Amino acid sequence: MLAFTVSRLLRAGVTILIVMTFAFVVLRLSGDPALLIMSVDAPPEAIKAFRQAWGLDRPVWDQYLTYIGHALTGDFGKSMRDGRPAIELVMERVPATLAITMPALALKIGLGIPAGIYAALHRNSFADRATMAVAVAGFTMPSFVLALLLVLVFSVNLGWLPASGADSPMYAILPIVTLGAAGAAIMARFTRSAMLEVLGQPYIRAASAKGVNWRQVITRHALPNAAIPTVTIIGFMIGSLVAGAIVVETVFAWPGIGRLMVSAVANRDLAVVQALLMVIAAWMVMANFAVDLAYGWLDPRVRASASL
Amino acid sequence: MILRRRHLIAASGRAAAATALPRIAIGQTDRRPSITIAVQQIANSAALEPLREQSNVGQRAFSFIFERLISQNLLGKLEEVPGLAESWKRIDERTVEFVLRKGVRFHNGDEMTADDVVFTFSRERMFGPEYDIGSSKTLFTSVLIRDSVEGKNLPPEVPAVAKRLFPALEKVEAIDKYTVRFTNRTPDVTLEGRIGRMGSDIISRRAFSEAKTWLDWARAPVSTGPYKVREFLTDRSLMLDAHEDYWGGQPPLKSIRLVVVPEVATRINGLLAGQFDFICDVPPDQIPGIEKNPKFEVLGSTIVNHRITVFDKNHPKLIDPRVRQAFTHAIDRQAIVESLWSGRTRVPAGLQWEFYGPMFVEGWTVPEYDVAKAKALLKAANYKGDPIPYRLTNNYYTNQVATAQVLVEMWRLAGLNVQIEMKENWQQIFEANGQRAVRDWSNSAGFNDPISSIVAQHGPQGQQQQVGEWTNEEMNKLSVAMEVETDIQKRKAMFKRMLEICEREDPAYTVLHQNATFTAKRKDIKWKASPSFAMEFRTINFATN
Repeated sequence: MLAFTVSRLLRAGVTILIVMTFAFVVLRLSGDPALLIMSVDAPPEAIKAFRQAWGLDRPVWDQYLTYIGHALTGDFGKSMRDGRPAIELVMERVPATLAITMPALALKIGLGIPAGIYAALHRNSFADRATMAVAVAGFTMPSFVLALLLVLVFSVNLGWLPASGADSPMYAILPIVTLGAAGAAIMARFTRSAMLEVLGQPYIRAASAKGVNWRQVITRHALPNAAIPTVTIIGFMIGSLVAGAIVVETVFAWPGIGRLMVSAVANRDLAVVQALLMVIAAWMVMANFAVDLAYGWLDPRVRASASL
Repeated sequence: MILRRRHLIAASGRAAAATALPRIAIGQTDRRPSITIAVQQIANSAALEPLREQSNVGQRAFSFIFERLISQNLLGKLEEVPGLAESWKRIDERTVEFVLRKGVRFHNGDEMTADDVVFTFSRERMFGPEYDIGSSKTLFTSVLIRDSVEGKNLPPEVPAVAKRLFPALEKVEAIDKYTVRFTNRTPDVTLEGRIGRMGSDIISRRAFSEAKTWLDWARAPVSTGPYKVREFLTDRSLMLDAHEDYWGGQPPLKSIRLVVVPEVATRINGLLAGQFDFICDVPPDQIPGIEKNPKFEVLGSTIVNHRITVFDKNHPKLIDPRVRQAFTHAIDRQAIVESLWSGRTRVPAGLQWEFYGPMFVEGWTVPEYDVAKAKALLKAANYKGDPIPYRLTNNYYTNQVATAQVLVEMWRLAGLNVQIEMKENWQQIFEANGQRAVRDWSNSAGFNDPISSIVAQHGPQGQQQQVGEWTNEEMNKLSVAMEVETDIQKRKAMFKRMLEICEREDPAYTVLHQNATFTAKRKDIKWKASPSFAMEFRTINFATN
């Protein structure tokens, strides 16, 4: 288990380094931060002074070595716009993003899994088709369309909820519903498929034939076995908790990671984009690691193969 | 014991109430409303410092906080009006003396004096301590304040912007507590204009000195404007409170909150839902939809900014000025104004604005729309329909892509084969690889003189020449001469000649239309939009039904 953990951690480090390197090179080749932050109308002297001050006039390899050297000591640079440490800017936005993505995850799981199980247990019924029709509509509708629809109904017409901002918990409701609806639809589809596959297995028929109560067949035999693909999807969703709300945060003017990402990329605020990508990559790696551990917990065969 | 404690608590409560109640009563009499304004952005550079944030959005935010010695009439035609100076006079061609308004209070309660004005234009605040005093470009302040601001290094762009704003300022002196004298190294009739433009905003010396870092200062600057900064959250919001000691009378609003809402649809929905009182940066095509609702209206006006198309005369097909002239004659500008702007802006008289006053060249127009003339020019230039690239960003300017598509079709009618190349950013637009030919831009005038526009943007130090797109020997000589010329008739003749060169003979650019900005608001609020991005929220311009 120790070797497994160490090898995963090493791979995680390499993954993060690759992400940082890729982001560093691409960002420096794709736009001049001086023009974007200072605006195209700034005097040429100001643009030149900005480039010199931030070392943008030095060769890219030189900038890269300096950056990696500092990153190894925990210094991820300062925001060119804000002047504060990039990692500080990123971390102060994380709570706002988690404030909508975590309840949205709960909504995805709380709505999606029961809906998927219900549809599977009532296969080909009207209820199954209705549930799946709603699910298909849910995950095919772009989140910005759903967001604007919700705003039109609940903010503009009914006046129940605010259209944008983050002044109180009320402001989080529409972003959470927008994020949760699409995820719940995906979860329902996957849960239904996984359940249908398991329900067709011989051990389910055997359990039923032995006279085991149908409820027990479902809870003790079907659900644990159907959980593996569902956990994989949940792993992806946990991985995207930090970075998965770019569109929704922009539409609802929610001050989280997503909006910081849009603004930092648009302004080529290099240190901030790199810090963001590093945090997101680290979170993704951790989520995958957690999913691997969950597999072992859920499935004895995975535990056995790991201990061999 | 319990009884005693109760008595004590009750007595404390009475004492607290006695202290608090009068204040509450005062608070209750303050019936001024607070408003929320949704904007696309508050400050691109994340700083509320006009010397760093030289943008249109910054101009809007700064109009609440800052004031200058000479102001602009935001409800008129932006003409000069007394600001923090109650009067000023010319001593000679190089010198202007200002008499400051007495009793003006900064947001921190300090009285504004000549020391603050001198400090505003000092090296510590504007030009940087490293500036070479011995250089022929010497620009220093005869500082009465010699105490430096330790650990408060200016970002390099601040001195760069300051030097552009005041290329030959020699000294700023406090004559007495309420009199300040500005002396230029060279004769300069635009000195008053420079002192009245964005960047010359007067700040509190004490507040600047007390800020721990420059960024601390730039996030909560202290000036004399009608509203003061309570909290600035980058990319999120700017909370402003009324400056109760404002010299122009108590502001009509208790507080103003600017919130960043990047999406147009969300801003509009927020207005319709009653969440916002004003929304800015409304695209023209959204205006009819908003005005369908009788509770709201859209105000807008042309601003001191013209959309232009810029030429790179080094491109093989544009070396011959007749090809560029053909471009300028093939554009039906009025059609663009009518179709894409619903007629809510206009075709201006070239790169100039009426607020130039005596420097405005009457009778000057943009090149006439004449397809036959354009065709004849192309024929004379022996243009055979070779492709000419037109580099374009995705709607950096309002209606940019739609305008470009219309232009390409108009040029095609004249025989020009212009091909749009979408670019992601300005670096790609400026890339000089032999394929740079046509691009978009907009030009503003920082103050009421052509020096602030045609010279600043197309002269030898202007962006177009700095990036190597265009140059013209006569234009450059005129630019240098105009900087120091003081005779109004000679200056006007020089300006007219510049327009002839840049817009007709050797086109550097062609003006398409004047830009406009639109603000939607609740109809029950009586408020008038300014012909600029600045917003006027003093008593003279706010009332509710």
